[in-house]
Amino acid sequence: MSLTTFINDQQDPAGTLVVVFLRGGADGLNMVVPHGDDGYYRARPGIGIRRENLLELDGFFGLNPHLSALHPWWQEGQLSIVHCAGSEDETRSHFEAQDFMEHGGLAAGGWLGRFLRVRPDAGHSPLTAVAIGPQLPECLRGAPSCAAIQSLDDFGLGDRVPDGFLPQLAALYKTAPGVLGPAGQSALAALERISALTKTNYSPAHQAAYRKDDFSSGLQQVARLIKGRVGLQAATLDLGGWDSHITQSVIMDPPMERLSQGLNAFATDLGPEELARTNIVVLTEFGRRVAENSALGTDHGRGSVLFLLGGALAGSKKVHASWPDLTHSPLVGPGDLPVNHNYRDILAPVLTRQSKGVDLSKVFPGHLLQPLGLAS
Amino acid sequence: MSTTRRRFLKAATAGGAVAGVAGFSALSHVLAPILSGPGDGLTAFSPPQADEIDETTHILNRLTFGPRPGDHAGMLKLGRKAWLDRQLDPESIDDGWAEARTRHFEALNVWPLGELLEYNARELLDQMTRAKILRAVHSRRQLQEVMVDFWTDHFNIDPSKGDSKWLKPADDKTVIRAHAFGKFRDLVKASALSPSMLWYLDGRVNRRATEKEKPNENYARELLELHTLGVDGGYTQQDVMEVARCLTGWTVRARENTRFAVGKVSFRADLHDDGPKTLLGVTIPAGLGEGDLDQVLDIVCQHPATAQYLAGKLCRRFIADTPPASAVTNVAQAFTDSSGDIRHTLRTLFDSPEFLTARGGKVKRPFHFVISTLRATAARTDAGPALQDYLLRMGHAPFQYPTPDGYPEDAQPWMATLLWRWKFALEFADHSLKGTQFDPQRLQQSAGGETGLAAHLLGRSPAAAETTALAASGQPVALLLASPAFQSF
Repeated sequence: MSLTTFINDQQDPAGTLVVVFLRGGADGLNMVVPHGDDGYYRARPGIGIRRENLLELDGFFGLNPHLSALHPWWQEGQLSIVHCAGSEDETRSHFEAQDFMEHGGLAAGGWLGRFLRVRPDAGHSPLTAVAIGPQLPECLRGAPSCAAIQSLDDFGLGDRVPDGFLPQLAALYKTAPGVLGPAGQSALAALERISALTKTNYSPAHQAAYRKDDFSSGLQQVARLIKGRVGLQAATLDLGGWDSHITQSVIMDPPMERLSQGLNAFATDLGPEELARTNIVVLTEFGRRVAENSALGTDHGRGSVLFLLGGALAGSKKVHASWPDLTHSPLVGPGDLPVNHNYRDILAPVLTRQSKGVDLSKVFPGHLLQPLGLAS
Repeated sequence: MSTTRRRFLKAATAGGAVAGVAGFSALSHVLAPILSGPGDGLTAFSPPQADEIDETTHILNRLTFGPRPGDHAGMLKLGRKAWLDRQLDPESIDDGWAEARTRHFEALNVWPLGELLEYNARELLDQMTRAKILRAVHSRRQLQEVMVDFWTDHFNIDPSKGDSKWLKPADDKTVIRAHAFGKFRDLVKASALSPSMLWYLDGRVNRRATEKEKPNENYARELLELHTLGVDGGYTQQDVMEVARCLTGWTVRARENTRFAVGKVSFRADLHDDGPKTLLGVTIPAGLGEGDLDQVLDIVCQHPATAQYLAGKLCRRFIADTPPASAVTNVAQAFTDSSGDIRHTLRTLFDSPEFLTARGGKVKRPFHFVISTLRATAARTDAGPALQDYLLRMGHAPFQYPTPDGYPEDAQPWMATLLWRWKFALEFADHSLKGTQFDPQRLQQSAGGETGLAAHLLGRSPAAAETTALAASGQPVALLLASPAFQSF
């Protein structure tokens, strides 16, 4: 790809990967409920979600009603769910487990940073990767160009630039020798696009209704960048508040609403064509203990759920899980859902879809990949 | 001890009125940062006057992180040869100022290594990063800083892996800095046994306790591919495996297993494959034990491919992204003739006509761009979050490159960073970059006016079109720093 073409009027050469990290250890069991397993109800007499309140997924699993905004996407075959997903980290420590998952094991840099660095179609845009929030997450470490932003205005040159500045800068770059000339033109084009994005009031398409919370506004910024064709290859967002040691429902219901409403608005806003080029991944550092505790909460566990939305990947309408029978199968450690699907194996087909020919052994060193088969 | 010093510094800064003790030598290093006024060394100086980059500017551009006010006149006065002699012998240059600016990063000097475990990993990375920035800005041993940067990429370690986060400061000090101008073989050996490297490239788990156990080839491969022979150096997969066998048994005490002597490197004969090996056609007899390492180093460091590969890398850094073959050949010859003496090899390179004539054709990497801005403007910086954030955005934060090949040297991969460079230039010139200040009035005055300042920043007299653009820009300093000429060196 030549320097002058990284931003063009047609479309970005590659799609966009959106990574949502649920920080705090989200309880997959109450998000995607195995209503077909009596063991679930025996382990959670107080906090188990009754079958009649669930949205049916595949006859064995049902979706928590607070995630109902995601249900239409499931029915359309746009949403994939993998249960018993996670990493091999056994510390059950938020910090250690997040660190492990973001680095991709005992490896240098973050998995997303490495992916952006080693993909054959590495980005040339100043907007290749953004983290929505105050700082870069560990998974983006080592990315060739990435910025933590609170709003799109962070990309502009600021409002104190004298009027004469940009025209004169453009004049200097027009005659610049070597690679600097075209690179300057590209950067100026990027600036123009950003300025066009920030000057106009954004109205979401297809009657998408974003809520006012940070997560939804972050997704809205990402949607603007995707539609603005600025060369965005990856975006990360954090959604916290999952550490439900007590009164599970009080803790978890609000972030579940934020998650599902946000993703619903985002996917609706993107529309079918953009959504097909956009892969949204939702992961968490670990799930929670199968049995509820005395405070009607759950403690740190192992396996949880992982959601994949968009990217023309899904379609099976069956939850991927090598499900253990919660009554008779041995649980791991103090009574936790096992990790039957390593998160790297789930990310593998997504990354390959985003960048054909990427060498995944460099993205996930030290892990023998067994990519999960996802319909595509 | 260090706590006391920190407290004292704080008190001294708060007190302010400490000028009276300036001559008190025991304190002068500590007080230097406080006593010097803003913009150190900012007195009247004569900027370059030629229409094209002259030899003096060229040498300053390539062998330093960019000229400070007065550097051009200073080299003219000293003479190119004497200047180069001093830079190649950094101990001969008094560097008290840079020492004083970095001394309070006490984590970088902690010994034994295990003590470093008390530090938060982010804090350590921050201290390493600040020290690197401040040395690049303030050290008068500029060629040393440039070569440290070069070797840091050549023997790249991303310390975010395992115990590396606590061990990299020692690598920086006892491997990279200690051998930057020494014998290449000593540098490679120090790196091979560096606890941080043993973590980063898995040397610590390269073992053969049983017949069935396969050695870990990670370090062996990079030693050949990146550190010595180069990817086209003519080695085979078999050679990689033989190197891995030779290095089985070297390990480092890990934090997860012990609180005692963490980071200590040792050779475990019981985990070593002591059979005979053949590397690049040379036989290494059985039974040498830890002596295998020296055999490997002799073979790979004396190999002609290593001279060629290193000469190519040095020429790409100092001459051009695509250097003339003649230069590479001559530099390789100097490397071979001197048995891998880095100082001698560099001198040959810097004396070559190919080097002296290749002016202005390289593009600064983001770190170089930021540091050269601070140097040219005699800025003061805390090297803190605001500055580091720009390096992160441009994908060039020190010690954060994940793969062992180090940050790329050629211009192409950095072309997406222009927007951030412009934003940095504007924010800096506008005095809105937190933690970094400069005095534009005094700078312009010292340079003898607007044209003088432009010549100082461009390294030559401004062209007519540039003068017009500067006048019309409304923010000439930012435009100079954002200009294509300032991105080049």
